[in-house]
Amino acid sequence: MPLTAEAPPPRQDSADGASTAPLAEARRVSRRRKALRPYLLSVPAVLLCAGILYPFFLGVSYTFFDFSAQNPQPDVVGFENFATILASDEFWASARVTLLFALSATALETVLGVGVALLLNRSSLIDKLFERVLIVPLMVAPILAAIMWKLLLLPEVGWIRPIAEFFGVTGYNGTDSPVMAMVWAIVVDAWIFTPFVAIIALAGLRSLPKSPFEAASVDGASWWLTFRKLTLPMLWPYLLVAVIFRLMDNLKMFDVIFGLTSGGPGDATTTLQISAYLEAISYARYSRGLTYMFLLWALVFVISMILVKYLRRIQDRAAGV
Amino acid sequence: MATIDVRSVRKKFGKLVALDDVSFSVNDGEFFCLLGPSGAGKTTTLKSIAGLVQPDSGEVWLAGQDAGDIEPNHRNLAMCFESYALYPQHNVFDNMASPLRSPVLRLPDDQVRERVGRTAEMLGVAHLLDRGVDQLSNGQRQRVALGRVLVRPANAYLLDEPLSHLDAKLRTSMRAELKRIAHGDLMTTTVYVTHDYVEALSLADRIGVIKEGRILQVGTPQQVWDTPETAFVAQAFGKPRISFVSGGLVSDNGTIRFISSDGAITVPVPHVEAAAGEPVRIGIRPRDLTLYTGAGPQPAGHERLDGVVYVLEHLGRQTEVTVRIGESLVSVVAPRNDVGGLTVDDKVSLLLDPARVHVFGDSDSDDGRRLSR
Amino acid sequence: MGPTTETTTEPMAGPATSAPAPAKQPPTSGSTANQRKAQRGSATGLLANLALVLYFAFSLLPVLFIVALSLKTNAEQTTTYLWFTPTLENYQTVLGLGDGGSSYVRFFLASLATSTGAVLVSLLIGIPAAYAAARYRFKGSEDLMFTLLSFRFAPELVVIIPLGVIYQQIGLYDTIFGMVWVLQLVTMPLVVWILRSFFQDLPAELEEAALLDGYTRSQAFLKIVLPLVRPGIAAVCLLAFIFAWNNFIFPFTLTSGDAQTVTVSSLAFLGGNQVRFNLVAAGAVMAVLPPLVLALCIQRYLVRGLSFGAVKG
Repeated sequence: MPLTAEAPPPRQDSADGASTAPLAEARRVSRRRKALRPYLLSVPAVLLCAGILYPFFLGVSYTFFDFSAQNPQPDVVGFENFATILASDEFWASARVTLLFALSATALETVLGVGVALLLNRSSLIDKLFERVLIVPLMVAPILAAIMWKLLLLPEVGWIRPIAEFFGVTGYNGTDSPVMAMVWAIVVDAWIFTPFVAIIALAGLRSLPKSPFEAASVDGASWWLTFRKLTLPMLWPYLLVAVIFRLMDNLKMFDVIFGLTSGGPGDATTTLQISAYLEAISYARYSRGLTYMFLLWALVFVISMILVKYLRRIQDRAAGV
Repeated sequence: MATIDVRSVRKKFGKLVALDDVSFSVNDGEFFCLLGPSGAGKTTTLKSIAGLVQPDSGEVWLAGQDAGDIEPNHRNLAMCFESYALYPQHNVFDNMASPLRSPVLRLPDDQVRERVGRTAEMLGVAHLLDRGVDQLSNGQRQRVALGRVLVRPANAYLLDEPLSHLDAKLRTSMRAELKRIAHGDLMTTTVYVTHDYVEALSLADRIGVIKEGRILQVGTPQQVWDTPETAFVAQAFGKPRISFVSGGLVSDNGTIRFISSDGAITVPVPHVEAAAGEPVRIGIRPRDLTLYTGAGPQPAGHERLDGVVYVLEHLGRQTEVTVRIGESLVSVVAPRNDVGGLTVDDKVSLLLDPARVHVFGDSDSDDGRRLSR
Repeated sequence: MGPTTETTTEPMAGPATSAPAPAKQPPTSGSTANQRKAQRGSATGLLANLALVLYFAFSLLPVLFIVALSLKTNAEQTTTYLWFTPTLENYQTVLGLGDGGSSYVRFFLASLATSTGAVLVSLLIGIPAAYAAARYRFKGSEDLMFTLLSFRFAPELVVIIPLGVIYQQIGLYDTIFGMVWVLQLVTMPLVVWILRSFFQDLPAELEEAALLDGYTRSQAFLKIVLPLVRPGIAAVCLLAFIFAWNNFIFPFTLTSGDAQTVTVSSLAFLGGNQVRFNLVAAGAVMAVLPPLVLALCIQRYLVRGLSFGAVKG
């Protein structure tokens, strides 16, 4: 402890000299210990990561076995799981469904989200009210949202059938047809997550500088031209964040599809996550399910790495670095 | 109170070299000014002394011992940050009381009140003690930040541009106040960072001029003014700035003369430490020149330079006259009366005492090292 | 941008050169132009409002529907009528107030316990890590941050299957603690990333000033930094809680009874011999309420939270 703690608190300036600490008494902390500080703070988080990564790598190792409920003492089969799955039509069908769902849903959410954000950015009274309501779907658990929509779409219970009939649609059958099942799955996903894109786009819009827009308005530029040449490029760094989150989430979306269609009818909405779930949990073929999952994981990981790198470049450029 | 020794400190931030072999020492009770343009490494130097920046190499010694392993909170230094660094959740009083209540001092409440009150009074912020930091102007924030330093006894005060955000009048009075504190009965060792040469000259016992992470010169105000070690140091002091003329040295019957590149200016420079033929530049301070109107005899020992008026700029009772001599521009400050009816392109003559001419090398690689004795 | 400015500045040249002509009757020409603009403005404004109303009808339709359904009697549950006598019977049944045969309350408490536990663990581990990542440049810092981020983006089943095996072996299957652990995948990246952005917003000189005032590093953190990021921490807590609460796949696959949460239990009424849509609806309404109420408290921080600090909002 420094001596100052013992020194009598000085009343007058002239006595101050007595209270300054002789440095010899100062506690010393070596450079090495100082350098260690951030690591010490991170140790718990690293341990936690290790605790999560261990099962992950265990899971990856299972892909080289023939592990299942019927075969609890598995043997190494090398790349056989990968070979059979990559050769199967089911896998490629699932992959197609996954991409179709993820890309369409992300596109729909982005377009709708930007639209809603533009509408809400006029800051009239109605906008303020709606902004509060906007996030409601986002806070509903996706599985519950799917169940709500499932009931809403049921011909004998839900309100969609009467609405469809009001507009003269005949032969409404909910999610019974393969095409409509996919369409509704995308709609439900968009119902939940459009607000996510919208609030991020809205935050972006509100942070844009005013002067370029005033200049464009003085120049008499049309709304569409201003949007295309000014708003969209300036909004892009924000939008990209939203798009990355949505695309990553939609590639692995489970709750919405499971709750709404469970992958049906047939395999019309069976994404890779659903396939993996069926393989691993329903049929208890763990190794096969994990192989599905590992392939999806690799896809998501690669895409996310590329997008995050791209995002950093865009943000650096936006920040003027 | 303590001495401060900065020994060959180097610091890089990524690729940027912030400090490049910085060395200087500050004596016990001395008021030391670190003068330099922004980005010169002044703040980094201050933070190295405080222990907030870990030097890549080199050492900081406090009170005669290596402070490398001493934590900032045990160095007993008080620092005033250029960004103020006031605690936004506390009011002015609590901000200023913070060091007094810290485990290092832990003064009783009545003494905290007494000291904070006295310091606030001195800095003219006594009426603001109950205010939140966000309710203050920048000038008030800066005074509170300074108060947080002056309120406490310390081994040394580290002040980073503590007057930069005050208005001109307040700055002058605060400067006087600081001088009183610094040279009064307290005599706390102080390192004062500034980019304002007037502050440095008026406050400092000694000045260190820093540029691009390197100390160019350390000396008393008299030394850095009279014998600037480099052209940069010469330029750092004085307004209007020192005028530079590039040219070469020639030997003329044993005495060495300076001749400007275009031959229009020639001055004997007997005290130079360089051989004839070397490219040099001379520096002439505007106040070392006098305007020669032709009336009266030309004083002995003075050189006469003839040129034409290029620009006239009135500075109150004085006028800065920029005179074009050949292709060189030389500034002179003259009493307004002497300038009288002068207008642009009028012919004028300047008188110069050769002893007051500064000679510097003319290469940028050595910042224009001083060549005159 | 080059061509745009050229074409758009072109019309400006016209009126400027013919300035004297409109000067004769400036009030009329000016006001008609303004009127036209105002008319166009109100027309597009009307369209915009219409579009908004349509979107919000779409947005609220399922919510209104599920609330209505939850108030219907058994006899009316398979009708699409809007006109019915509302009853709270379903809520009573779900909560087991009538016959005491429902385990919904237990599920609800399990949700509460797992979510709260997950948030607390994440905070305890995440605050130091986020602070270190925000304040120090050190080897591996970015690796740690991106490892955490990759948890957010990884398909959950990749860890669920091996974790299920491990949990069965060490007895964590269907336990609150097991759920708290696996939910770190959800809450931990959120907490660390958002808090880092809050810490980064604070100038480091505040802590440096506190150090020089004579406080230790931990005192500087507790006295200066923590109070300033308290709103951020509160927001992160609530957001992490919401995400933990709303999670489905982990409790669905790694619990069977004791630690089962409300999101999973809502499926229970769908299965079985007798489908009770109105009970499903009542259960869903109650399960949705807590996150919704919490979300309204932190609306200001929602953008930053949901984007992991990437958008400040």
